[in-house]
Amino acid sequence: MILQMTRARLAGPRAALDAVLAEVQDAGLLHVDRPPAPAPTSGDPLVRREARHVTRLLVDVEAALKELGPLDAPARDASPWPRAARRARSLRRTLVKLRLGRAALEDEQVLLARYREFFEAFEALVGHELTWPDGQAFYVVLHAGAQGALRELQRGLDAAVHGELELLSRELPSGELAVLLLTSPGAAPKVSKLLADARVEELPTPTTLGETNLLRALPAMKARLQEIPRALDALTRQREAIRDGDGTWLASTRAWLRDRQLLLEARAQVHAGEHLFVLEGWVPRTRFDELATRLRTHFGPELLLEVVGEEAWTADQAPVVLKNPSLFRPFEVVTRMLPLPRYGTIDPTPFVAVFFPVFFGLMLGDVGYGVVLALVALALRWKSKPDTTLRAVASVGLVCAASSILFGFVFGELFGTLGHALGLRPLFNREEAIVPFLGLSIALGAVHVLLGLVLAALTSWRRGHPREAMGRGVAIAMVALTGLSLLAAFEVLPAALFTPFAIAVLVAFPVLVALEGLVAVIELLSTFGHILSYARIMALGTASLMLAVVANQLVGAMGSVVVGVVFALLFHLVNFAIGVFSPTIHALRLHYVEFFGKFFSPGGATYQPLGHWHPSS
Amino acid sequence: MEMGLIVLAAALAIGVPALATAWAQGRIGPAAAASLAEKPELSTTAIILIAIPETMVILGFVVAVMILLRSGGTAG
Repeated sequence: MILQMTRARLAGPRAALDAVLAEVQDAGLLHVDRPPAPAPTSGDPLVRREARHVTRLLVDVEAALKELGPLDAPARDASPWPRAARRARSLRRTLVKLRLGRAALEDEQVLLARYREFFEAFEALVGHELTWPDGQAFYVVLHAGAQGALRELQRGLDAAVHGELELLSRELPSGELAVLLLTSPGAAPKVSKLLADARVEELPTPTTLGETNLLRALPAMKARLQEIPRALDALTRQREAIRDGDGTWLASTRAWLRDRQLLLEARAQVHAGEHLFVLEGWVPRTRFDELATRLRTHFGPELLLEVVGEEAWTADQAPVVLKNPSLFRPFEVVTRMLPLPRYGTIDPTPFVAVFFPVFFGLMLGDVGYGVVLALVALALRWKSKPDTTLRAVASVGLVCAASSILFGFVFGELFGTLGHALGLRPLFNREEAIVPFLGLSIALGAVHVLLGLVLAALTSWRRGHPREAMGRGVAIAMVALTGLSLLAAFEVLPAALFTPFAIAVLVAFPVLVALEGLVAVIELLSTFGHILSYARIMALGTASLMLAVVANQLVGAMGSVVVGVVFALLFHLVNFAIGVFSPTIHALRLHYVEFFGKFFSPGGATYQPLGHWHPSS
Repeated sequence: MEMGLIVLAAALAIGVPALATAWAQGRIGPAAAASLAEKPELSTTAIILIAIPETMVILGFVVAVMILLRSGGTAG
């Protein structure tokens, strides 16, 4: 259900505004809303300046905290501003520098590790007298099996630089070819161009060593590779020292700044003059007294607190709080997948909590699959934290599993028809009674859709649209009368009733058109389409059963019992996955399209009371 | 011969809507995926939109079953 809201108005001396807002924030009950009068407070230069300070400082603090990882601490006043701003900025810069330094070292480590393969391949050449001591070296790695390309490369380069080139190649452990090209200073530009033209990619030269010749750089590179892990450790220690020394200050400052930000946003909604302020907001009706007592205790008669009459506001202005009994609450997750319903309309959660498991159970309807689903849901519930979406999904899963087990007993199914073999007697055999199962699905659809129409009529009535409500009522009567006429035509009801029912439909038709116009005719036809859509309950249920039957038949059809059992188990696993996914999607669809479509009015604003910031908020 | 025609009719009753559903879902799926890339909050709407064409194949399945059941007496 949607909680009834009260619009509260607070008025008092301007000097008490900050204290009142702080108390309202501590109470965490009032959803602050702009009063109808213009609110010049947003133009208050002091408030604007503080908002700027908060935003700037928050950027530095959050950037620093991002570098440090998750940290939490209670809010603590960080003023004076200049000192806090200097500290946060300095911490942010240091931490960013540490991260960049770390990234550079890691990149260098990766690059040098790539050269290590080169080092090992050409280590024997260290100390080798170079033909061109002032020449240039090129480092190339060719893919495995490129010996032919290597010979061609050597021929081409020799011809181009007239032999002023020494080419050394070694096979790397990976099968690739490491190629070292040593050239005279004069030939180097030509070699570089030829390599680029031939699209031969060079390894980038390690510039950090200040040495371009690999053979001369080799000892320095090895030393550097040993040095890097030590440098990385030093950076990690520095970061940890900052985390230990300043982490708590950063986290508590963030909480304080977030709180200030919420307070300043609320303050922008307040109508404040030179001497007085007026603040309005929403509070659940049942908790208004709690807020009133708290504020009166703190501020006494200088603060005026009153309820704004319902004639002064419209339902569309009020925020929405859903509150359902604990048994239904997990099903709010289905409702919340759509935008919240508007204030003054109907929360469909209790109806979802009844019909969703029934539809699911009718489709899956198997003791075995139900038990497996219950185990999965229990595991999810055990892994999840209270009041999270995952916990709600696990609870919905458990209810659906119970429904599947219950209908499994009704259908006598345990992993398909295996239940029959084990002595499970069906009360309703859906494998044979396909047409009655279809009738049951459509009848259930008729009940569900008619309930949607009843809720639509109620909503229209409550929102002050009696003509619309009457139109919905006539539509309900027409759907019910058409259904009864069909039952009489097929002699489920006495055939003599057909004529009176048909006449009643014909009489109701012009009344419906008069009340709602020609659109109502199209809506009526679509309503019949929606009812027929519930045939999917029978279709998916039968399909699920047939797949389970096929899985069981695999045991005897594979030649070997062991192979047959393995295949059957795999098939059951696939059927279980389909059997959980498909009924969920189709039960959701039946609710969102066929049921909600009749009465659900989305667009309600979320109730967000002014309170203290929390990391999960 | 008559049994063959009945089976063919049942196969067509589910086969043609299955093709239609596949075609519709094949067009809705990429559009939904593209929308989700920009607005992940549309996931519920996307699931519903993808599930809507399945009505065709489900009703096709129901009709196919009805054809086979109704013809059971005459064909057998």
